Amino acid sequence: MGDKTDVWQGTLALMVLRTLEVLGPLHGYGLARRIEQTSGDLLQLNYGTLYPALLKLEQEGSIRSRWGLSENNRRAKYYELTRAGQKQLKKAAAEWEQTTTILARFLRPASET
Amino acid sequence: MRRLRAFAFRILGLFDRHPAEDDFAAELESHIALHMDDGIRAGLTPEEARRQALIRLGGAEQTRQAHRERRLFPWMDSLLQDTRYGWRTLRKNPSFTITTVLTLALGIGACTAIFSILNAVVLRSLPYGDPERLVYVLTPNPHLGANVPIEAFGPSYADFFDIQRQTHSFAEMTTFEQTYFNLTSQSGAVPIGAARVDGNFFSTLQSFPEIGRAILAGDNHIGHSHVVVISHALWQSMFAKSPQVLGKFLRLDRQSYQVIGVMSPEFGYPHSLDFPPGVGSGYGAQTDVWIPLALTPQQRAGRDNASGYALGRLKPGVSMAQARMEMSTIMARLDLLHSPELRGWGGYVQPLRESSIGPLRKLMWLLLGAVVCVLLIACGNAANLLLARAAARTHELGVRITLGAAKGRIVRQLLTESLLLGVSAGIVGIAIAYLFLHGLLRMDPGNIPRLDEASIDGRVLLFTLITSVLTSIAFGVLPAFVAARPNTIEFLKSGGSRGSIGRSSRIRNSLVIAELAFVVSLLAGAGLLLRSYAKVASVKTGFLPSTISMSVSPDAQYGTRAQRFALLRNLLGKIEAIPGVESAGVINALPLSGSESLARLSVDGDANAKDQPVNARSITPGYFSAMGIPLLRGRFFEEGDVDDAPSVIIVNHAFASKYFGGRDPVGHRIRTSGPDDPWETVVGVVGDVHHSSLEAPALPETYEPLWQKDIDGSAVVVRSTLPPDSLGPSLRTALRQVDPNLAFSGIETMAQLTAQARAKRRFQTTLLTLFAAMAMLLGAVGINGVLAYTVQQRSAEIGVRIALGASRAGVLGLILLQGLRVAALGLLLGLGGAAVLTRVLSASLFEVSRFDPITFLAVPAVLLLVVIGACLVPALRAASIDPMRTLRAE
Repeated sequence: MGDKTDVWQGTLALMVLRTLEVLGPLHGYGLARRIEQTSGDLLQLNYGTLYPALLKLEQEGSIRSRWGLSENNRRAKYYELTRAGQKQLKKAAAEWEQTTTILARFLRPASET
Repeated sequence: MRRLRAFAFRILGLFDRHPAEDDFAAELESHIALHMDDGIRAGLTPEEARRQALIRLGGAEQTRQAHRERRLFPWMDSLLQDTRYGWRTLRKNPSFTITTVLTLALGIGACTAIFSILNAVVLRSLPYGDPERLVYVLTPNPHLGANVPIEAFGPSYADFFDIQRQTHSFAEMTTFEQTYFNLTSQSGAVPIGAARVDGNFFSTLQSFPEIGRAILAGDNHIGHSHVVVISHALWQSMFAKSPQVLGKFLRLDRQSYQVIGVMSPEFGYPHSLDFPPGVGSGYGAQTDVWIPLALTPQQRAGRDNASGYALGRLKPGVSMAQARMEMSTIMARLDLLHSPELRGWGGYVQPLRESSIGPLRKLMWLLLGAVVCVLLIACGNAANLLLARAAARTHELGVRITLGAAKGRIVRQLLTESLLLGVSAGIVGIAIAYLFLHGLLRMDPGNIPRLDEASIDGRVLLFTLITSVLTSIAFGVLPAFVAARPNTIEFLKSGGSRGSIGRSSRIRNSLVIAELAFVVSLLAGAGLLLRSYAKVASVKTGFLPSTISMSVSPDAQYGTRAQRFALLRNLLGKIEAIPGVESAGVINALPLSGSESLARLSVDGDANAKDQPVNARSITPGYFSAMGIPLLRGRFFEEGDVDDAPSVIIVNHAFASKYFGGRDPVGHRIRTSGPDDPWETVVGVVGDVHHSSLEAPALPETYEPLWQKDIDGSAVVVRSTLPPDSLGPSLRTALRQVDPNLAFSGIETMAQLTAQARAKRRFQTTLLTLFAAMAMLLGAVGINGVLAYTVQQRSAEIGVRIALGASRAGVLGLILLQGLRVAALGLLLGLGGAAVLTRVLSASLFEVSRFDPITFLAVPAVLLLVVIGACLVPALRAASIDPMRTLRAE
């Protein structure tokens, strides 16, 4: 559905940036696992959908990538937050907070309105 | 800034495809490996772990594809999404979709049809090599009358060859004559259009035969000149496109010509439509055979009489102005070599294109303008439909905006929907255009060159595409921005159902007002043209419409005058013997047939009337009676008016008024030839006829007895009580009995010729009226839609009114008044526009003023009727609202 994917891509980007901010550089697989965990396993995502989102963020300059070695000595591509990415994260998070606050007011039980 | 970076990456991505793909392939492999490690650690086998990894990934190939798309065409998935979503939405509302698509298709289809005509007639290059550099070489002489079209002044042969020697402006020049032959074969004789051309003809036009060779300089020597190049159409009809056609013989006017070449299908120069009316031979639309000009030395030296035309191809770098200046200079010298009786020959060049297209451009642009108005009205309706729907979608869109979708995204989505509608309308429009063209070509006015070549080709399809896209933007932009306003609070406050009706209903009303203004302008234009056409149709031609006419031309066999006269006398005798025939006559230039004959007039005793140009005709005694032209004074010609008898002449009423004031011209003497020729005594005055055009006043004309002059090609006219279908065969038989090698060209009634003379005006009027009707229909639909929507929105309010005691009639009146208010504003605006726009039409009006009161009264009346009709249904629906139901639904 049009709007669902829109919203989804926006929130996924937000999740990626936040995760990278908290945990530092991660590779694609690690990010996917981490996001799953953080959502309390409520989110069941196809790991593959992460990669276009990562590409978009990289094209926009919010993250950068480089090849490195994982814990078990595997070659993997690591992503980390840039300074621009940090600013983007702060801005998106603030917008999201505002929307949920407004909605929360409306969706309060009727008697309180 | 982010976007700019992303954009730069995208562009770079287009260039270094493989490294990026390989890089990602490696990343994907590494992802799967890492996942497999976890799986193995959890106790799975390597194969099982790999399978799990691929499943959780969602498929390696899909991921690669998604990554590639994002790398190269990130806008593609949102475009695809939008398109799919839009398509689904449109399918869910079939009535809206179909209405909108049909409305737009009507506008786009009409535009496409007119554009394809414009393309064929004006835009496409003429089918000759380098057509922009082709010009007529002319030697106009102002003493020969201001009304003569300049293309009639082809140079005499002596002038032509001198110009050819002295000019520096032309790469090549050629001269040619138009004529017509009787082509005889087993099936009988058939007239065909022909051109006698010199050795440079085909190379000047840069058009060469498909098969065989062109006529060259060597063919113009007497004795070697019986060769012919034939047209593609003739090759098809006479030789069934046989490849062995070269070397075969054709009999033209009883002489054999050997076929040396066949032209390609689109070459038919000189086409009669390449000349303005009155110039060029009146026979035959296109040339089917080209033979060598083969001038004798006397003909080459002839300076004072011109019977042909000359074409030149400008050298590259030579401008029209330079060529004209050079021509004037050369002719200033050559003028002195002309006979002192008539000097004043100048030099001029006229682009070939101008002659055939010039007069048409105005018509074409007029039609295009009208049809664009129709399209704009259709866009207005579509925009209104979209606005109405946008108001209904406020809920859906509001949710999306609240959830964070960017306004730009929503606008893009809505514009994509508009594009889908527009492109679908374009496709349906092409089908409509095709049908439209068929109908138009059926109505062929006959004198618009290349009209029959109008087709839907690549350029036209491109035009349709561009029009569809522009149309989509035109009608989609406004509703998209109106709908996408992120007025979250207001949306949530109103419970998501009402949106801002007030603002958008004002926009909708304004759109309808603008539409109606266009409708009024088109109606006014159509009305003026209709009135003009009615006036033209009621012009008295001066002759009987039922008289039948046909052309016959004695060929070279009839070498002496006596032989020609014998032929005609014989023929006339046989024709008059046919039962049902009342009278028959012959004339050398039939009215309304595109042929003309001029002479130099002098009036005995009037010093001012010396060497004036005048239309001069040669006729047999039966002519006037056959044409039904009345005798006003004196007598008709009789059989006694032959060579040895005194030279006599008859004039028409216009002549008598111009040269004799109120006096009786009978008995006076005039002369239509040189000073060495005898004076002719006027013996009669006859009624006027319209010779060259129905719309110009009748000109002075003189008639001389054919038996005292000579004939060239001529037209026979027959008056009878029989209809042409039954008379035709008898006439052909009569001619066959006299000489089976001759043919009549085209047997027509004078009524048919008259209708042909009106054909272009009829075409113009019909099309404009059609467009005005379409516009009116669309406007009616528009105002109906807007009013219906208003009624629906205000149904609660109306319910309250009725509940509070308002009468049904009162409600009807209220709604009707609202519609009328919109119509009145549209009318006012439209009348103002019409007053300005009808200036464009003023050249096409006939005896009707630009501010013709009848038209400007009829237009508002028609509009009023249509608007009331359109508003009736919603008004009635409003009047029948059940207040209980509407109030409960609140």
